[in-house]
Amino acid sequence: MTRASAQVVVTGAGIAVRGRATPADLLDRGPVDTAAPDPADTLTGRGLRYKDRATRLGMVAARAALADAGVLDVVTPSTPDDSFGVVTSSNYGNLDTVCQTVRTIDEETYLGTSPMMLPATSSNVIASWLAITHGLRGANVTVCNGRTSGLDAVRRACLLIAAGRVSRVLVVGVEPDLPEVRHVVGDDGSVALFDGAAAILLAGARSAAASGTRIHAGIGRYAKRADAADAIAEACAGTGRIGLRLSSQETTVDSEVHDLPAVLGDAAGALGVLQVAAATAWLGGGRRAGDALAVCGDDGATAAMVVTAPASFPAGPRSRELT
Amino acid sequence: MSFALAGMGAVASIGGNVAEIFDSLVSGHSGLAELRGFDRSKFRARRLYEIDDRPAAGKDVPLRATAWLEQAIAAALADAGLGEDLSEIPVVVGTTLRELRSVELMYRDGTAFDVRDLNFGRMLRSRFAAVHTETVANACSASLYALALGTDLLALNEADTVVVAGVDSITESTHGLLDRCYPKEPDTVRPFDRNRRGMLQGEGAAAVVVRREQDGPGPSGRLHAWILGAAANCDAHHPSAPNARTIADATRQAHRLAGVRPADIDLVMLHGTGTPLNDEAEAAATAEVFDLPTSRSPLMTAIKSMTGHTAGASGLHSLIAAVESMRTGIVPPIVGLDDPVPAVAGFRLARRVAVHADPVVAQVNSFGFGGLNAVAIVEKVA
Repeated sequence: MTRASAQVVVTGAGIAVRGRATPADLLDRGPVDTAAPDPADTLTGRGLRYKDRATRLGMVAARAALADAGVLDVVTPSTPDDSFGVVTSSNYGNLDTVCQTVRTIDEETYLGTSPMMLPATSSNVIASWLAITHGLRGANVTVCNGRTSGLDAVRRACLLIAAGRVSRVLVVGVEPDLPEVRHVVGDDGSVALFDGAAAILLAGARSAAASGTRIHAGIGRYAKRADAADAIAEACAGTGRIGLRLSSQETTVDSEVHDLPAVLGDAAGALGVLQVAAATAWLGGGRRAGDALAVCGDDGATAAMVVTAPASFPAGPRSRELT
Repeated sequence: MSFALAGMGAVASIGGNVAEIFDSLVSGHSGLAELRGFDRSKFRARRLYEIDDRPAAGKDVPLRATAWLEQAIAAALADAGLGEDLSEIPVVVGTTLRELRSVELMYRDGTAFDVRDLNFGRMLRSRFAAVHTETVANACSASLYALALGTDLLALNEADTVVVAGVDSITESTHGLLDRCYPKEPDTVRPFDRNRRGMLQGEGAAAVVVRREQDGPGPSGRLHAWILGAAANCDAHHPSAPNARTIADATRQAHRLAGVRPADIDLVMLHGTGTPLNDEAEAAATAEVFDLPTSRSPLMTAIKSMTGHTAGASGLHSLIAAVESMRTGIVPPIVGLDDPVPAVAGFRLARRVAVHADPVVAQVNSFGFGGLNAVAIVEKVA
């Protein structure tokens, strides 16, 4: 369960986080300026009224990642791409719609609801709008998998490429901080919840290299285990020095540590994607000595993933991307 | 590349296991009944295909979907002869609504619910010691999408055995919004019928054990069918309205993966929801791929008139029905189809009563909100 993702590279990254403009800003350990503009407000155009907050945040991060990779104007609804997939990760993305609707029905019967809300009752609504907005017709997957969900989503995107289903995947992790979410997670106001999104663009290494795309980082080994130490050991096996560890968990890995939730709040299903975006920025196109390690999970399961400097991803025969 | 279907389990309004469900389908028995779990006074549409397992009428409880998922997976594992230790076996679960019904009960009524149970991971860990779990909320095509993702794990040698499942309970928010959308409340699900009024939801779960071809059946020796391939794509067109062109693309992709031609398909399990949008798009895509009405049509059926739209479970429910049809030589009818729409001209549809046939290769369609299309091809074991 650890081999997964050799030969997949990161070609773009973007975020929608209040007080943080680019993935490099995720490395900033300073407190978030809560008075900073809401990134969701940068969207303009028709139809926003009926898109939930998670969808809007996801769209902002996705747009930034596609722009970072230089493909924002290349893949569009009028020039759709059958081999461009989407994987999103979110646990709480559509709780607002579901809770508000059940309250409306209780107070006003079904007649009080708006038909425009129907698509957002289905938890895949974020991935759906990302595909529509950018013309992405490949496999479209919404991972809702608890605390490991973000890294599980990155790993699933790698598998879609390795299996030959798609050649590129937009991966978005998003969680909204909303009253309905706070109610459902049982928060009394004392917990800081992350409100934002991160997006990365993944491609097969050889096709990215062949197309001359700038490669920011490589996706290394992924492991998921009941025990955090086991997951970390498996993910790091065969890896060189880990220079940055993005995690809250205690480990024996000797490296700089950056615990994103301590700065940005509990990021739940968005965390893994946020970590890979931060790792990509930290690697900075190969300036660092060592790789980065992302770890997320809870007492039931932990996922760990190595993010490598661009030049160090292995050239094995596993991917079927060119067949 | 083929994959061995080594175990099956299912639960729906029309039966608590695969045999009961298939018997109901063949005899044309529907699970449609008066609303049980919701306050009827809040809705115009007052009939659904619910599983009748609540403690009392009008009294709803959380975690019903989780219980059906557990039941279906346990049945599939037992059928395959595998124990209940899934610590090294990946589990891919497809769902539209996760445990959002429990969220509704918590939010509105204050019912106790732990958010860690939203995506089934805790139950899978506590009952089956599963670690490699992945819940994909891929709308109404979720379980066939999950099948595609699960077979990828086998094809890439990430695992030799996977459990693929689908599950959904009905949420009040979805039911209310569907009620709001239809001009007239649906009386029943009538796929491809001129008098269709829309879709009604159903409840249930389904699970299959799938293994690499070289590993063959599980310890029980049961080999239900070969899965020849599962295709997955996205319309990238509209959040709820399907698109015939990309449905046709997904169908051709499935044929390509499976190494079959349209003429090789003996049976098509249509998605058939009874909504004009789905049925017209699905009929147009099917007519295009199978060159209908010019060429000879495969036999086609649709089971949602009896199960309701079981959403995240519906793709696997149809697949299991296809496998049972191939094994028994009996294809369930499309109940409620009295006056077919023009779009299905030339389609050989199983109508009114079950049809005796000997299908060898079956195609299973499953489509969902967000333009999510999944199509699987299964072959009878020789």
